Amino acid sequence: MTILLTAAEQKKPNIWRRARHSFAVARHEPANLIGLVLAIFFAYLILAPVLSILVDSFIVQSGDEARTHQDEGSFTFYYIVRTLYSRISEILLWQPLYNTLAIAASTVVFSMSIGVVLAWLVNRTNMAGRAWFATALIVPFMLPTWTFALAWTTIFKNRTVGGQPGWLESLGITTSNSVAYGYFPIVFILVLHYTPLVILIVGNALRRLDSQMEDSARVLGAPSRTIAFSIVLPLIRPALMSAALLIFADCIGEFAVPYILGLPVRYDTLATGLYRALDTRQNGVAAVIAGVIMIIGVITLLIDVRMMKEARRFVTVGGKGNMDRLRKLGRMRLPASGFAGAFVLIGVVLPLLTLFLSTIMILPGRFTLENFTFDYWIGSNLDTVALRNGILLTPEFWQAAWNTIVIVGSSSMISGVLGLLVGYAVLRCSFKGVGAFLRQITFLPYLVPGIAFAAAFLSLFAVARGPIPALYGTPAILIIALVASKMPFASRSGIAAMTQLGKEPEEAARIAGANWFSRMTKIIIPIQAGPLATGILLPFISGIKGVSLFIILAIPSTDVLTTYSLRLLDYNYDQAANAVVLMIALIAWLGTVLIQKISGTGLAQGLEN
Amino acid sequence: MPTISLTNLTKCYDGNTEPSVDQVSLTVEDGEFMCLLGPSGCGKTTILRMIAGIEHSTSGEIAVDDLVVDSVHQSCFIPPEQRRIGFVFQNYALWPHMTVERNVDFGLRLQKVPAQERKERCLDVMSKLRILEYADRYPSQLSGGQQQRVALARMLAVNPGILLLDEPLSNLDATLRLEMRAELRRLHQTFGTTIIFVSHDQWEAMTLANTIAVMNKGQLQQIGTPDEIYAEPCNRFVAEFIGNPKINIVDLKASAAEQVSLANHIRSRIATNEFTNVCAIRPEEIILTDTANANTLPMTIENIMPTGGSWVIELSFGDDRLFHSTQSRPKWREGEQVNAYLPTLSLHFFDQANNRLVLPETDLDYNHLLLNSASINQKHTNQPLAKQA
Repeated sequence: MTILLTAAEQKKPNIWRRARHSFAVARHEPANLIGLVLAIFFAYLILAPVLSILVDSFIVQSGDEARTHQDEGSFTFYYIVRTLYSRISEILLWQPLYNTLAIAASTVVFSMSIGVVLAWLVNRTNMAGRAWFATALIVPFMLPTWTFALAWTTIFKNRTVGGQPGWLESLGITTSNSVAYGYFPIVFILVLHYTPLVILIVGNALRRLDSQMEDSARVLGAPSRTIAFSIVLPLIRPALMSAALLIFADCIGEFAVPYILGLPVRYDTLATGLYRALDTRQNGVAAVIAGVIMIIGVITLLIDVRMMKEARRFVTVGGKGNMDRLRKLGRMRLPASGFAGAFVLIGVVLPLLTLFLSTIMILPGRFTLENFTFDYWIGSNLDTVALRNGILLTPEFWQAAWNTIVIVGSSSMISGVLGLLVGYAVLRCSFKGVGAFLRQITFLPYLVPGIAFAAAFLSLFAVARGPIPALYGTPAILIIALVASKMPFASRSGIAAMTQLGKEPEEAARIAGANWFSRMTKIIIPIQAGPLATGILLPFISGIKGVSLFIILAIPSTDVLTTYSLRLLDYNYDQAANAVVLMIALIAWLGTVLIQKISGTGLAQGLEN
Repeated sequence: MPTISLTNLTKCYDGNTEPSVDQVSLTVEDGEFMCLLGPSGCGKTTILRMIAGIEHSTSGEIAVDDLVVDSVHQSCFIPPEQRRIGFVFQNYALWPHMTVERNVDFGLRLQKVPAQERKERCLDVMSKLRILEYADRYPSQLSGGQQQRVALARMLAVNPGILLLDEPLSNLDATLRLEMRAELRRLHQTFGTTIIFVSHDQWEAMTLANTIAVMNKGQLQQIGTPDEIYAEPCNRFVAEFIGNPKINIVDLKASAAEQVSLANHIRSRIATNEFTNVCAIRPEEIILTDTANANTLPMTIENIMPTGGSWVIELSFGDDRLFHSTQSRPKWREGEQVNAYLPTLSLHFFDQANNRLVLPETDLDYNHLLLNSASINQKHTNQPLAKQA
């Protein structure tokens, strides 16, 4: 009888025994502990700031007691009403919202139309100088957006704002406000910046397309127009959609370009509106605007998820045939190259040349020999009030450069390692919930534009809370904010790298008798060295180019190159400011080249992430 | 040297209602060379991974040499790094960032074996597996067969008592498979290791293993030597799964009494009972002759398929189709009539539950068949059937 009972018991172990067994298994899987620790860490680092800013929009902020007739910290709809329904809501929200959407939509339309044509030319035709263009056309994406904005103002600036005049102005040509500032130049610059992204994404899709599908249509007698519209276009539609959404989301959060080109004519977008609200201490209103930006982000993401689901239907068994057959352009061969060349000229050569020339000219727009000087780079004892040396000889420049490297470098390092750990935890964790939570929470900052995120960090970490001291004014807040804002990329690449690696190399090491530490240091990290390096360098580059986090969180003692150049601009040291910007572009470009060398992959794949 | 015993081993993956491994109990004796054979998705690899400790059980018990390594009942789980069981992955899982030598060396380093001894053992195992010349290469520079030998060497270097192989020959081309097969048998003899391997390929199982455990849908079907499993399949699944071309199945319950069919023919010759559901005969056991007699059936040759040294012939009798295979060149043409004899000894019977059914009158004959199966097979193919009958 007893024997029978034991047998039955063994057949169906009770929950308690099962739980203890699961624990015995989980005890040997450190990914569980890592997963839990990371989940708590990111809950505080990402979820808390986002929630705090959303809560801020319903809480009476300090200084608003008189207006709301309520005590500080009590619940209120005042900010919602003020931002959405009041007499000034037109200025606070609706006009900036309209501007933002107009900019984003126009940028998507124009960059898609230009980008698809260029992607086709580069990947599918015998255009002259194809290989060269494949790299050259991508360069605008490597440069910070506000490089273009500064180049634009250098040429087109008019008397609406003070300071040194624009080149055209000094040559006697008066530019109208609509050309110099606002909607037109902002869209123009964003199109220049994002067209390479379209070329990358759509170009990759074109290259991955199985040529046998085209061949099958050709065999059935389809003319090339039919092939293009009924075979190729539907197949690359997911790539088109994904590029469009990516650009749209990025444009919503774009801060630097509208800040430089919109402010002089009071052309506000949501991002600059948010900055203005923060600057004027309207924290509650800022929270509402940040909320609106997040909602747009969520909607974009939901559409993207839906599209991706749809796109999966198109995934067919990959054929070996790549699209190596090129379309003969015939007489159009040179004009096609001319078109691509014009893009490179406007998108790379002119802005960089303009910026460079502006740094070696004493008076803007006067192209005479005595007007040229290298003083702004390497001069000393200049007759200016503050900046008495060229920037390469100015200690503040090197201090800012050093700060940049320390702050951006350490945060990219941290986010790269965290990304790899997230990937490890997501794939190995025994508890599905923890993995899913990590995956989603690390993606959350993607929905929140940098400026809103910085605002959230400010509201959370400006004062001491519990064991965490007030971090405002320290490099720590910048590092933490940067880490959090880079997590979407870092965790995605970490998860991708770990997925690609699979479990087996580690399982093989376990069987060989390796404990977790040996497995990590001898197997996982060495194998993932390449992806890890890329995972550190890419955030580094985008961190260097970034403006929005710094402009809110940095103070003069934690100056980085971007804020330093903006301050120089504020003081009208245009030449020096542009020189700093050129240095930033140089660092960004060198970093990109370095990634290419390390990862061994083309620029295209590296940047597409 | 260790024995492995599985008791009521069950594995349910999250979200699956059907268990992937269902109440499997089996013992692998010391020094045994066992194959877990079954179609893909039958749970065989899961068993292997549970023995290694990469996967944990949902219920049941795994013991190695009386030491329980995984048991829900006893809330005990020993992680793979402490089990000292070798495992060769299907795609080898070599560490791409280490040279061949470092791959082989890795386990010994972890065991803190002195450098001198480590070097010797590495050289020894690498030369035994003939990969010494590739010691400084990286896995990506090796061919599939070489990679597999490195994967084997990596496990053999630490000299585990038990070696688990996941589909050891599946990723190799035909020539390499033969070579590797010989290699594995030689290894089993030299090292005396207990080896369990997983395969969905009966050729691989038959040629390598001393014992085969056939699995289907997470359940163990039959354990036996390759000969036993081929000659005496315990159920219809095993009968159909083993053998190429597939065993011929005749549904005895399907056709009406007056119809001219194989089922009626068999029923007229053998006293089947009410449990008898299907009859099966291996293709090579059918005998074809020109001359007819009372026990032969006139059949039409539908198709002759040469398979290089042997031939598969598709026969039809009424609506029934049968496959016959032979080592000798067929003297008939497609479309011709031929007389087929289905020897009583070669008929397998299965009941409704698809289990083997031993009919009283054939009982004795089967013992006879098992003892002299080779000679009888020989007789079947070569001698005219008048004598046989």
